[in-house]
This record gives sequence, structure tokens and C-alpha cells, in this order.
Amino acid sequence: MQNPHFLLRRVHSLVGLVPVGAFLLFHLWENSKSRFGQEHYNTYVVEKIQNLNYVWFLEVFLIALPILFHGVYGMVVFWRGKQNVTHYGYFRNWMWLAQRISGVGVLLFLLMHVIGTRILAIWNEAVRQDMFSHMKNVLSEPYFLVPYLIGLVLTTFHFCNGLWSASIVWGLATTPRAQKIIQVASGVAFVVITAVGIHGMLGFFLAS
Amino acid sequence: MADTIRFRIRRQDHPDSGPYWQEFAIPYRREHNVVSALLAIRENPVTIDGERVAPPVWDSNCMEEVCGSCSLRVNGRARQACSALVDTLEQPIVLEPMLTFPVVRDLLVDRSAMFDNLRRVKAWIDIDGSWDIHTGAPRISPQEWDLNYALSRCMTCGCCMDACPHFGLDRDFIGPAPLAQVLLMNSHPTGKYSRADRLHAIMSDGGLTDCSSAQNCVRVCPKHVPLTAAIGKLGRQTTAQLLRDIFGG
Ligand code: SF4
Ligand code: SF4
Repeated sequence: MQNPHFLLRRVHSLVGLVPVGAFLLFHLWENSKSRFGQEHYNTYVVEKIQNLNYVWFLEVFLIALPILFHGVYGMVVFWRGKQNVTHYGYFRNWMWLAQRISGVGVLLFLLMHVIGTRILAIWNEAVRQDMFSHMKNVLSEPYFLVPYLIGLVLTTFHFCNGLWSASIVWGLATTPRAQKIIQVASGVAFVVITAVGIHGMLGFFLAS
Repeated sequence: MADTIRFRIRRQDHPDSGPYWQEFAIPYRREHNVVSALLAIRENPVTIDGERVAPPVWDSNCMEEVCGSCSLRVNGRARQACSALVDTLEQPIVLEPMLTFPVVRDLLVDRSAMFDNLRRVKAWIDIDGSWDIHTGAPRISPQEWDLNYALSRCMTCGCCMDACPHFGLDRDFIGPAPLAQVLLMNSHPTGKYSRADRLHAIMSDGGLTDCSSAQNCVRVCPKHVPLTAAIGKLGRQTTAQLLRDIFGG
């Protein structure tokens, strides 16, 4: 019968793609609407999502728990490996290490990000009512802007590099040629997704 | 051209004793390789400080990169000492054992973990009978043969195991070389019958999922075994096996 470790690893990989990766894309897409201004953002982005059917259920089971599982199990896997880039400084080996380190970075960023937005909004009426202004204030502080930028890049990197390794894990890309193609494609995806994310952050200032 | 060849060698007298370093210099000669240089050091085992010491111990056999026994780290990277040509190397040439395996003495390591792992994954083919079974030799397509040949070149030298960030005696990972052999045995017309057993072996603790696609293995393999392509194909085979296990078939 099945060994739990194999299943856990496959679930870990799957969860990173759906729902977590899918949510990341959705999230950055929605937030890029910040450039349409305060009213549009608060009504058509924040309120629309808050009014979703079963929103608590979705937040817990499609976002929070999957991220927690992916993060915690990812750490377990991390501590099992032993980096050896000093001996073997190949590109993919560096990427392997970068994937691990960015994962830890993303977890720290998410902690800050979620507490500063979603959790704060639970008891802070003003934030709940006007997420646009709250985000604008937060991002005008360099102490927050810099971690947000770093956090965004780490997250999109982790996701895109994860797409590449998932294609091998699941047996989609087997030949070196296929793996190369996916490497290039995930590089392009990284640039595009990061650009959308940064555009979303700038939108709070660009909006009239 | 320098008139000596300098070496820095990691020494260790006993499996449990601590390591120390010694430097040697031998007269320059064209076309030395690391094994022939070690032989020259053995003839006159005097360090550059003039101390006469026990000659360094290493393993080697065929001298043509076929037997896989002379693997060691040359300037930090695991490879065959016999094909490490001195004229292409930076000096002093640093020699270390493959430290992911237990050191027996000096440059000699015990590679049995790799052979045990080949057993773990059933990397053999059961004979289909010791009598005439009245069928001709099984047919294999040229495309399949191509891949199989590349996989069969593995000489169990252990370089890929040394380079892998996940293989180590304190960890369970089977390692790249035995994984590639699973693919080879699985595609053999008779070996196919044990396919599910092998896949289950690599779907258990320390199996395929412990590989994180750092892809060092394929970079260091002296025989150009397509290790990461094999790992990708096994990803596909285990995905299919998982579906068969859950839904039957
Ligand atoms: S796969 Fe290559 S590096 Fe690994 S043991 Fe076989 S020959 Fe050596
Ligand atoms: S690709 Fe897998 S097996 Fe090869 S070095 Fe990396 S982690 Fe090890």
C-alpha cells in the first residue's frame, strides 16, 4: 500500500500549484486593480471578495491551511537536505538552495502581510472599510515598502521555480529539452507575474 | 611549464579518526593522470616538508573510466581519478575522498550504501526460467534501446551520489544511480513484471520524492547517464502507479 511520505510529497507539490499558486495569481490580478482608484478597489475588489459565499470556509480551507501545510512540510523537507553549492556551484543547485531560502522568506513575509491586512481588519473597522487607504499608508512607509517588494519577488520566484520542479515531479517534463523549455517559460512567467504584482503596489499611488 | 606537480591530499588513518592534510610534489611529466601521480607519490611518499609518511591509500582498477572504482573529489568535485588529467587541473591539486560515503582510509571510501540501495529497489531482473521457454529473444525498439543503453552505462562509481544534496548516510534517500537503474530494469521485457515492486520501493521512505531536482548528479556523471531524464520518467511512472494503487488497474 501507499507510503505516507510519497503521498505527502505529492500533496505538497499539488497544493503549491492549486489552490496556493492559483490563489497567488488571483490575488495579484485583483490587486492590480488598485490603479482604478479608492472607490473601485474598495467596492469591486475588497467588498466583492468579502461578500463571497462561504468566504470564511474558503479562506481557511483553500488558503490558510494549504499554505500552512505547504510551508510546514516544506520546512521538514528543507532540513533533510544538505546544501553543497560551495562544492557544486551549478545553476540548478543554486536554484535548489534559492527555492529553499525563498520559501522561508515567503513564510516570514506572509506572517507580516496577513497580520497587517486580513487579521488587522477583523477588529479594526477603519481598515475593513477602507483597505485602499490602509494599503496606501502602509506602502508609503519604507519599512513596509521594502519588505513588501522583497516578499513579492520571493513569492513569485518560489512559485515559478516551483512550476519547473513540479513539471519533473509529476513526470510532465522528462527530457532535458522539455525541462529547458519549461525553465524558460517559468522565467518568462516570473517576469510577467512580478510585473503585475509591482503594478498593483504602484497602483495605490498612481490612482487619482 | 612547472617542473613539479603539487598535491594537497586529505589523509585519515582510520574510519573513526580525524582528518589531516599533507602536501606532496612529484617531478613533472607529461600526461600524468591523478592515479598515475598517486602511484608516483607511493614510490617516494615524502611530503614537501621532507617527512617520509605512509603512502596515501586509494582505490582504482581499470584505468579507463569503466570500472568506477577510482572516484574521489578532485579539486572539490567527484570524478574518476584515472581520467582526471593533471595537465588540465589547477594546482595544487586537492584530493579528498567522496565524503558522503564513510571513509575507510585516506581516499578510500566504502560505497556499500549505494549497492544496498540497488538491492532496496530490486535493480535486477528475475530469470524467466532455467529451461527452454520456446520463445525468441524479446524485441526492443531502437528508441527504447537508445535510452536503455545510456542507462546501462552506469558503473556505480558513486560520483552522482556524492554530488547529490540529498544523499547521505544520515538520510534515507536512495540516490540518483539506483533510481536510474529502476527505469532501466522497468523497461526490460522480463524486468517489466516486477515493475510495481520497484515503483513501490521508490515510493516509500527515501524514495523518488526526496529528489528535489538540484540536478547535480547529471552534471558530474562521468558516463553521461541521463539521470534527470530518468528521474522525470520515474515521476511519470510513479504518478501512474499512484493512480493504479488508488483506482485499481
Ligand atoms: S550514474 Fe553516473 S555518476 Fe552515478 S554511479 Fe552511475 S556512472 Fe557513476
Ligand atoms: S536531481 Fe535529484 S538525485 Fe540528482 S542531485 Fe538533484 S536531488 Fe539528487
